[in-house]
Amino acid sequence: MTPVREAIVLPALFLTVTLLGGLRASDTVSLLPPSLTALVLAMLLMATLVRSRTFEPLALMNGSRSIAENSSGLVVLLSLFAASAQAVNAVLPERGLLHAGFAVLFFCQLMTMSAAASGRMPTLRGLVVLFGSLFVLRHIVFEALYAPGGGLLHRVLTAMLSGASLGGIAYDPNAPVTGYVAFLTLALYMIGVLLLPIRPTETLVRRTGVAVRSS
Amino acid sequence: MTVRVIGLLMTVLYSAVIVWLYSAQPQTGAQAMGGLAATIGAYRIDQRSFDDGLAFFRQDKFPEARMAFERADQARRDARTQFYIAYSFYREGWGRFYSDDRLFRLGLEAVARAIEVAPGNRLTVEDETLGMRTTDELKAELQRGLQRDASDLNPLRVFEPRK
Repeated sequence: MTPVREAIVLPALFLTVTLLGGLRASDTVSLLPPSLTALVLAMLLMATLVRSRTFEPLALMNGSRSIAENSSGLVVLLSLFAASAQAVNAVLPERGLLHAGFAVLFFCQLMTMSAAASGRMPTLRGLVVLFGSLFVLRHIVFEALYAPGGGLLHRVLTAMLSGASLGGIAYDPNAPVTGYVAFLTLALYMIGVLLLPIRPTETLVRRTGVAVRSS
Repeated sequence: MTVRVIGLLMTVLYSAVIVWLYSAQPQTGAQAMGGLAATIGAYRIDQRSFDDGLAFFRQDKFPEARMAFERADQARRDARTQFYIAYSFYREGWGRFYSDDRLFRLGLEAVARAIEVAPGNRLTVEDETLGMRTTDELKAELQRGLQRDASDLNPLRVFEPRK
């Protein structure tokens, strides 16, 4: 991995995801920090990425790297965690049963992917499907269902959903721009994950000048 | 090495901006840019619009004054302008027999903004035409106007002057 990618491109990508992941626009614009659920799921997500060898943390921080290199690596790891939390935040509803339901779904899927440890490409494909499904559910299905100004059938349906769950299912609809921003956020996150280093070899080769590859 | 140092500096700066945005929760681009400028001491209000607002304020044209003040301080980062906005809500909402609660609440919000951005959370405005010259006095007066108690029934209250 080149120094530019490690020190500039990856942190910039992940910090942009961190910034945009919490944006919610309706009558007002708000930036929501990640919930505790999102933080926990982000930890699991990072563990899944490591277990499936989607990226190699030792490529970012190890004893043979200089302080500056390890600092860059630490920044990438921290920004990856923040971005993971905000990417999860972008697809989780904010409150109620829907928040819990989406979190359980995400948790189970991550556990499955982690247990399977099926390698980089299957994990990346799995993540795209997971984030994509939750995005469609939250930003298309639920936004359409709870959009203001619906007809009688629309209101009856939402009232039935709320009544059947004793008020547990509640959703605050957002302006369409929220969905577009969430889509961009998830796309940037997946690009960032794709750019993460796979093997801890390049630094050793460059510093010693010897073509040693530690697999 | 140089690339890594530049990257580290950019990351620290970008992170600081993100943390500020999440804590300040700006509602418009002007508020975001103005807030960022204020953090480095580069924020300036539109003086001409402020002077227009002050002229309207002294003629008791309060909605016009607020429009001019809002134009002058689009980022809502100037304590003195926010003080005058709050004061315009007070004067417009003040009544000899009762106060307009809605305007007083908006005044409280504006004075809270003034206190938040004022150095040391204190502001004194040297203006001879004002009955209250500090944010503390204005805030207390607005809060008193929103209170419901037995003193509301005191008939002598109709003789109290508008400040």
